[in-house]
Formats: sequence, C-alpha cells, structure tokens
Amino acid sequence: MEIEFRPEGIYIPAIDLWLDPRTPVGHAWLSHAHSDHARGLHATVIATRITAGIYRHRWPLPEGRAQQVLLIDPGQTLEFHGARLTALRAAHILGAAQLLIEYGGERTVYTGDIKLAEPICGWATEIVPCDRLIVESTFALPIYDFLTAAEAQRRIVQFAGESMAAGLVPVFLGYGLGRGQEIVHTLTAAGLPCAVHGAIAGLIPYYEAEGIPFPGWQPYERRKEETRPLVITPGRQDSLAVPAARTRVALVSGWAAVDSARARSGADVLIPYSDHAGFPELLAIVEQSEARRIDIVHGYAEAFARLLRQRGWEAAAAGTAAGEVQV
Amino acid sequence: MKALALCAEAVAAAPGRNEKIARVAAYLETLEDEDLARAVLYLSGRAFPASDRRKLSVGHATLREALVRVTGWDLEMIATCYREVGDTGETVALLVRRHTAGREMSLAQAEALYEQLEQSRRTAQKVELLAEAFRSFDWLQLKYFVKGITGNLRIGLQEKMVEEALAAATGLSAEAVRGANNRSGDLARVARAARGGALASIEAVLFHPLEFMLAKPLDRVGDLADPAEWWVEDKYDGIRAQAHIDAGRVRLFTRGLEETTAAFPEVILELAPLPGPLVLDGEILAWREGRALAFSVLQQRIARKQVSSKTMTAVPVIFLAYDLLLWRGELQFAMPVEERRRRLEGLGLRYLAPQMRLASHSEIEERFLAARGRGNEGLILKRAGSAYESGKRGGNWLKVKRPYGTLDVVVTAAEQGHGRRASVLSDVTFAVRSDDRFLNVGKAYSGLTDEEIRQLTVLFKATTVERYGRVSLLRPEVVLEVAFDGVQRSPRHKSGYALRFPRIVRWRQDKRPEECDTVERVRELYEASLE
Ligand SMILES: [Zn+2]
Repeated sequence: MEIEFRPEGIYIPAIDLWLDPRTPVGHAWLSHAHSDHARGLHATVIATRITAGIYRHRWPLPEGRAQQVLLIDPGQTLEFHGARLTALRAAHILGAAQLLIEYGGERTVYTGDIKLAEPICGWATEIVPCDRLIVESTFALPIYDFLTAAEAQRRIVQFAGESMAAGLVPVFLGYGLGRGQEIVHTLTAAGLPCAVHGAIAGLIPYYEAEGIPFPGWQPYERRKEETRPLVITPGRQDSLAVPAARTRVALVSGWAAVDSARARSGADVLIPYSDHAGFPELLAIVEQSEARRIDIVHGYAEAFARLLRQRGWEAAAAGTAAGEVQV
Repeated sequence: MKALALCAEAVAAAPGRNEKIARVAAYLETLEDEDLARAVLYLSGRAFPASDRRKLSVGHATLREALVRVTGWDLEMIATCYREVGDTGETVALLVRRHTAGREMSLAQAEALYEQLEQSRRTAQKVELLAEAFRSFDWLQLKYFVKGITGNLRIGLQEKMVEEALAAATGLSAEAVRGANNRSGDLARVARAARGGALASIEAVLFHPLEFMLAKPLDRVGDLADPAEWWVEDKYDGIRAQAHIDAGRVRLFTRGLEETTAAFPEVILELAPLPGPLVLDGEILAWREGRALAFSVLQQRIARKQVSSKTMTAVPVIFLAYDLLLWRGELQFAMPVEERRRRLEGLGLRYLAPQMRLASHSEIEERFLAARGRGNEGLILKRAGSAYESGKRGGNWLKVKRPYGTLDVVVTAAEQGHGRRASVLSDVTFAVRSDDRFLNVGKAYSGLTDEEIRQLTVLFKATTVERYGRVSLLRPEVVLEVAFDGVQRSPRHKSGYALRFPRIVRWRQDKRPEECDTVERVRELYEASLE
C-alpha cells in the first residue's frame, strides 16, 4: 500500500484517506483533538467519539454545511474504500487513538501522537502487531526520559503544597488540551481546589463526561488576586493579577526535561512529564509493533530513523512538514 | 555530592539572589570542615582553587568519548543531544541515567577523581577514568561533577554569592570572606580559615590576579562637590592590566582576571628587574614617541597568539603603571592613594602615569580636552586619602569620558547579515545587566572589521542556545563597547530603554559579561538626558 507524506498530511491514495491532514480534504482520520492534528472542515471525518466531540467544539459546523462523521471507538472496525480500519487506544490525550489499516494483506498502524506509559487522564496504549508502523518522534532523543504519571502527580501536589506553605501562589503551565486538565484533575483530586485559565477550563466538561472528577475547580478571574493554585497556558504568566514576586511557577512538559526550559518558559520548577513518549517508550513501541518498516513523523525524525537503521530496521524520516507540535 | 547536587538543583529553581544564597548557606552549615572546603569550590564551578596552577585538561571531546563508551550512542547522536541541552554536564547526566549503577559519590571521591584526571597525562587514561565514573555514580551527582570540569554550573550562582553564603554559614562578614578570597584565590582555604576564625591570617598570593578597583562615570562635571579633594590622571584607551612581579618572574592579568603574559614579551623584560614581591595596576598601551597609539593599533597585537619580532617592532607596547597593590610583599589596599603613589614613584619606573592635584571645576574641562588632545580617552579622578577598593566601583574613582560615552554591553542574539555579510552573523542584539539577568537595549549592524565578524561568527555559533530562522539566541558571553547618540524609552525592550543609533566601538575581549554596564546605568543616562 502506497503512503504519501505530503506537506498537508499523510495520504493513502489506494483508499483515498488522509491521516491528520492540516488543510480541508475529502476523507480524514483524526487521531486526536489537538489542533495540529484535528483541524479544518473535511467532507468526511473518521474519529473516536471523544475526539469527534472536542473537534466539533473547536470546529463548529457552519450553518448549511454538511459533514459526514464516522465514529469508531477503540476495538471497533470500519470497512472503508476496500480497507478495514480499526481504532486502537493511544495514551496521549482524552480520546486519542491509533489507526490500524488492513489493505491488500498488509497491516499498517498510524500511531498519531502517543506514549506507552499510563497517562494521568485517558486510556493506556494498546499495541498490535503490524507490518508497517508510522510513528511520531517528538522526543526521540535519549535525553528524554519522563516521569511516570504517579511520580508527576506526586511532584505536582508537592510543589503546590510547598509553595502555599511559603505564602506563594503556585502557578502551573500546561497546554490547553491534555496537560492542563491532567494538572487540574491531580490538584483537585488531592483536595487542592484551583483556578483554571479559560482555554483549559473550557474543555474540562469533556473530561467530566468521561467520569474524570475535578472537585472544586473554578474558572480563573482575570482581575482577582488569587491565593489558590493557578493552572494556565504557557506564556500567560505576565498577565496574572498576582505580582510575579508572589508566585512560583512550575512547567509540566516534556521540554521540562532540560534545564534550559527554565529560561525559555520562565518557570522556577520543572516537572518533566509529557503526553508524548520519551525515548525508551518510543523504542519499546517500535519493538512491540514487530513492524519491519518504520516511517517517522514529527520531531527528531532524522536522528531516530538513523538509529533504527543502525539497529536493523527499515526506517525513514517522513517528509511531512511537521510544523508546530502541541504538547 | 548527593547533597550538593540537590542543593544546586534547589538553587536553580530558587527565584531570587537572596533565596539562592540562603539555600547554599543552609547546605554549607551541615558540612564538616574538609567537605565545606570542597563544596565551596565545586559550587563556584571549580575543580581546583583559582590560584592553583593545576589544570584538568579535560575537553568536550574527552567527555564525549567517555559517553560513547558508556552509553553506546555514537558521536553524532551525542552531538544532537548536546545541541538540545546546551550543557555538557547536563547532557552527560541525562544520557548515563540508564547506564549507571547509581552509587553515591562523596565530596572526597569527587576531589580524588579530579586529582586523578589532572594527573593523567594521556587522553585515553582520562577517558577511562571518566567512563568508569559514568558507569558508577548517580546521574544527578555526575551532572555537577562534570559541571565542575566545564567550569560553569549554570544555576545563576556566581562565586560572589558562594562567598556570601560561606560568610552566612560561618557567621562572618561577607566583606571579610570576599577579601580573603580575593587575596588568596583559594576559596577552599578561605572556608577552612573561616571555620577556624582565622580569615585575617590569609595573605595575598602572588601570581593570582586581584580584583581591580573600578571607576564610576562622572556624567556632569558640576556634580563634583569639592574639586580640590581629587587627584587627576589621564584615562588611557588600552588594556587595563595587573603586573605581578617577583625575583625576575612577571605575569600579567587582564580585568577579566585572565592571564595575558605571553602576548607582551617586551613588557615582561621591562618589569622583571623590579624588586618583588610587587603588584602594579596599570594599562598596556601601544606606544610611540611618548604617547599612546589608538586602541585599534594595540588590537593588532592582541589578535595574535605568537608574537613575532616583526609585530613587536611594528606595534611597540608598554605597561604604564598608575597604582600599587602589593609592595615588598605587603598588600597596599588600605594605604591612602598618596602613600601608594609615593611608593610607586620610589620604584623608578620608566612608564608612570602623571598625576596632578585638581583645583577647580574649570580645570577638569581643560584637562579633559588636553587628555583628548593626547589621544587618551578622558580623565580618572582619585579621591584624596582613599584606599584601593579592590573589586568595587564605589565612587572613590571617577571617570570622565566623552559626552554620552559608551556602554559595555553583552551580545544576546546574532543574526545573519545581508549581501556581502550573508554568510556571517553580523547583526547583533545586545543587553545590559540587571542582577543576574541580561535585558536587551538595542541592536547594531556595524563597527567591527570583517576579521572580527568572522571570529565572532565562530564564537556565536559555538554559544548558540536556540535558533529561529536567521536569528541565533546566544549564551551571553561576548562583551562589546557601543557608542550611541542617546537613550530613549522603549516598551519593546525588556529593559524599558533603547539606545539611539548604536554602533560598535570595539570588541571588549578583556571583559566578562558580568562586568558589562547595568540597566541602572542606562536609566541614569536617560534621566540625565531629560534635564
Ligand atoms: Zn497531540
């Protein structure tokens, strides 16, 4: 089965299907609802129920426009243009899924964004054997080796507790979809009600609908000098009503694995926890897939492909314009 | 090293200077004497004391080779990782995490290992020692062990702050600790003496650079309350230097406390016969027919590692003395300027900067113009009866430079030039200091020679932290002197100010980034311009 790595996304001509296209197309598989993966109004969208829900929230259908939405939840299959598509759980953000494409006797898996370790919110990754694997490589260097969910949660709660004990307001930096909710869930579940910035707060209902509790969170009010922990998106520190001298800032991100993240993000404390796989997890995903052929997208594709080739795989960095990766 | 590494990590995460110092002090208090001596060294990013002649001679290539051995990653992968991390110690730590037995390294073991590395003559031996350490010890401890080799912890902790922490931990004044470290260049010895209450017994060590006394700018001559209370000398446009002399041996140090002896053999010959132990403060100048030549002439000498007799004839150089730091083995810091001058004159030096007593405000103007006429930069005023305040810019020395003068700034970003300069990083963004941060105040495109730009491009590439298209963000290392036509407020710059029409006067290879001008200085200039 031929696969084309184009600037607009990954395209499979034999079944006329796009994987996470960046511009509007005919038929699109959306692996998860991050805006660098699920964007634009395609004629047909295939996704999990949760991903389709958040996608609709972010890309409302204009009056008079029609769109076909085909839902496949993990484990379910869909016959599509002569191929058999199966969604597989991916640990990344709520609703994330891999896609198994069986066509002409060949099994291809597209991981989308993924990690192997248990996430704080969401489901664990399911790996199935395949012939060809298309995998991401956001953190495909051996320096990236992240905290487990349990350890990250311990540090999040500890940081909040210590900061408040010192009379300071703990501020967490996390992206709008995924990390942000994981932090809020961790804090509130530990009995630390927090104030949550708009972009993160707006998507909490989707998590609550899946049974993830956020007891006592409140939306962040711009002009209020908070004393509770704040969860905001990176780069928003400067707009806080609390003076910077009264805050302590923690960055919860894969990029926090490296000390220079402190200068870049303005955070005092780094908590290296990601919704992408660290290097050892990525290698494990590749190994467990039993695939012979590995195509690598997003990130350190060249370095990772080179390494896999040295170890005997048929591996190549795919020529997609990876663009911004949301973490 | 475990407690030291945890302390260093906490320091990196601590927001302010005082908080960082408090954390170090709390850690130092827990240590017994020998460990205290080791810890203060390692926390200031040194494997050995500053005045210690031993050198580790462990380069990045050696460290990477040891990494290859231990991790199995090839050099290309290690280089890619290093580019992401930007620090060798941290790269080592992150890469060995899954390859080390994770044993604890005591401070005594770290010391022994530094010594073994220093004593190994062959690179292969050093690689073997490092590889063994990488396999054995806990990764976080290795991070700071290796930072001790590369010489910079990058946790926002300057040696001055370690001195303050040591003072706090031993109940002594920061002034006393700083003075003892300045005299001896041996913070480990200072730490031991501090515990024993014997700081005063620490004597000056020859051939280790002492901190220079610095001058404050005098922006308006009228600000000087009593002109008759000041001595005046020309301010020379050369390289400020300190000459250490004893028994025919001479070593020269620049303001950045770097040694520059080899570059000026004729100065060494000239100074060698003087009676030691002696330390002079003065200026290295290109000199012909009784007057200093332009700095750009002197620069032709600095650029060369090896000095040929041809360049020595083409650019003759002298050491012009103007102060005295050590005389007959005795430190002169506490002596009044008049007594230092008397002793300086008694040495029978061939080149001694003339000094006069000032009488009036109008005389400053006259002397300033005369100094400019002699090709010098301006004037230095020294307050009558004042001591030599090593390492300070306390106001007992004042400098009078041309209106608006110049600022010493540090380069924080460089951009590819256009046209002829498309292949080099010729456009620079520069910053001034605010505590331990650097805040941008402008951008300059011109003023350097092609050769300087070429050299700087190499340096910029090596210190690039991040790249955005044509722009490279740099570790602040290169200091430039910039001239400008004024200061204006600028919401675009984090400093709040921008220099108007800045142009580069010269590359200050003799200055460290912590020595560049401050945002307070820019504010002063701005406020002065409003009047
Ligand atoms: Zn994603």
